[in-house]
Amino acid sequence: MNAPPAIKAATRLADVAPTEMLMAQSQPLKILVVDDEAVFRTLLQNLLEKMGLQVVAVGSGAEAVASFMHEQPDMVLMDVMMPGVDGYQATEYIRDLSGDSFIPIIFITAMSDENELAQCVMRGGNDFLTKPINPAVLQAKIEAFSQLRRLYKAVKSQRDELAQHNHWLKREYEIAEGVFAKVMHSSGLNSPNIKYMLSPQAIFNGDLLLAAYRPSGELHLMLGDFTGHGLSAAIGTIPVADIFNGMTAKGFPIPEIVAEINQKLQRILPRGLFLAAALMELDAKNHKLSAWVGGVPDILIYGAEHKALAGRFTSTNFPLGIMETDQLDCHVESMEVRPGDRIFLYTDGVPEARNSDHALFSQARLEQCFNDGYEPSVLYERILWELDQFRGTHEQSDDVTLIEVTVDPSANNPQAPSNALAPRPPSEWSASFEFSAESLRGYDPLPMMMQVLLETQRLHQHKQRIYMVLAELFLNALEHGLLKLDSSLKERTGGFGEYYQEKERRLAQLGVGRIKVRLRHAVNGSGGRLTIRVEDTGPGFDFQQRLEQLEKNQALHGRGITMIRSVCESLDYSGAGNAAEAVYPWRFGDGSE
Amino acid sequence: MALTRNVSADGKVVTIKINGRFDFSVHQEFREAYDLGRGKASDFVLDFANTEYIDSAACGMLLVFRDAVGGNSANIGIVNANHEIVKTLTMLQFHKMFKIA
Repeated sequence: MNAPPAIKAATRLADVAPTEMLMAQSQPLKILVVDDEAVFRTLLQNLLEKMGLQVVAVGSGAEAVASFMHEQPDMVLMDVMMPGVDGYQATEYIRDLSGDSFIPIIFITAMSDENELAQCVMRGGNDFLTKPINPAVLQAKIEAFSQLRRLYKAVKSQRDELAQHNHWLKREYEIAEGVFAKVMHSSGLNSPNIKYMLSPQAIFNGDLLLAAYRPSGELHLMLGDFTGHGLSAAIGTIPVADIFNGMTAKGFPIPEIVAEINQKLQRILPRGLFLAAALMELDAKNHKLSAWVGGVPDILIYGAEHKALAGRFTSTNFPLGIMETDQLDCHVESMEVRPGDRIFLYTDGVPEARNSDHALFSQARLEQCFNDGYEPSVLYERILWELDQFRGTHEQSDDVTLIEVTVDPSANNPQAPSNALAPRPPSEWSASFEFSAESLRGYDPLPMMMQVLLETQRLHQHKQRIYMVLAELFLNALEHGLLKLDSSLKERTGGFGEYYQEKERRLAQLGVGRIKVRLRHAVNGSGGRLTIRVEDTGPGFDFQQRLEQLEKNQALHGRGITMIRSVCESLDYSGAGNAAEAVYPWRFGDGSE
Repeated sequence: MALTRNVSADGKVVTIKINGRFDFSVHQEFREAYDLGRGKASDFVLDFANTEYIDSAACGMLLVFRDAVGGNSANIGIVNANHEIVKTLTMLQFHKMFKIA
């Protein structure tokens, strides 16, 4: 409308050569020209086509919107004043339609008032050109916007790619997390005597918490903390969990598990990646707690009786995966605990929690909780509360791992393995073992014998009971037959600890003596009959008198005998009392533990 | 600069000073610091005077460092470490591998 001569100098049309930049694209830019004046439209179209551009020219705002949808132009030259839908309104529609892609819109206007020109940009234009059009300026603006548009496209595609990667990564993490969660699933953690707090991101923080029961009923618990974060920190958890759960179920003691895990990690982890860990065994029935600590903070024991810190296990070992296994001390320390005592394990996330002033929660503050005389049953919550109070709003407690285990002789495996295979059809077989003093000094043969027994007849569903019988007979032969330990020691206060210390002392000095174990299996109707005979070279004991005492319920010891009898059809002693033979019967279908 | 490096006049003692937090973010710089002119140096000193905190990844880096400069025969001293850092290193038994003063 009312446009002055549209193009300054028609002769200059010839001067406008296609530039390299505009032509460099595989496809020429497509420009939508919108003007209600046919003459101007045609001039502009010719001008742009000379520049090597593809042009779509329309005569109204409404047409502009329609052809924007069909033609998908790269850029728009828009007249402002048009009858009907004017340039501003058309721009608004086009902006709505173009979503997040960048379509430069340049207003072509006869206006020269600065405020009105500013209006162009306010109403969604990217720039403006005043009539009459200077072809050189027009070309420069189109080039500038074309460049900007390419830049925008590159950034957008990178952003989309990043978002896509992010999405994949998240998905992969989710899958990995599912796998890790399954591997880490330790049925032992469901025990009613275990409370724990583990960050939902624990696996990718490199934190590891496992608990499982030995067939003989002791609880094994492991707290681990891999160096670093992310997948690299998580990757080692799989072999560790496999070894821990597998060996515990087979009855191996902590030192052998520590050695095995170290061996494995030493082999697979790159230098600089290691596992700081604490492994403990709680034999609640015998009031005995043993632990191996390498590189994690002290295990603390809260005594229920005095409501005070009753003991601790301090890291004295290298973390796992650093040293060759023969240079690693795998021995455990032991202490006596009482029913009701609380055992606390935690990662350095607890003492190293910080508040808004960047101060550490510290070991001292943690241990103060143990010296305030709290009821044992509330201490765990108390520690978490103190931690929260200290942190204030500073950080969420998402890297805190804290575990409390209550010494509870009645707690046992909450979940029997449901995937245990059915026994093999009963057959006739036997196996004998003989252990010299030398082999007994450094080696616990129970897991190995259990393994033979389980593999041969596949009596997994009877594992706990058979282990109990075998362990009772074997330990009697060792502790009383060869080491001549006196059970009455256990009755005194602190006696349990003394008893086990004495056992270790005597075992280390054991010079002579042998234990023979014979396993004999026979078919018995639809099931089998397992005879376990254990014989030692010790002096034996007055089994007649012991059995009579048991009958009259007068005996202070010999609970083992009662336990064996509760699952066996017979238990007989012979010789001088140094040979014991128990017969364990089984049938298909029974014995799910 | 999270890290500064000093070499004695005879080139035998390399002192690396770590400022602020010693964690994985200084990994590259730390490696360059001990890789540079490693042939000549016989002793390394890690100066933790301005080190606030060491995380487990950095402890792993210390092991890699130790291996790189001679493993069991490496001569590495750690000086001026704050109480918390000494505690962490002791917990990990690193006092058996590094001379902590």
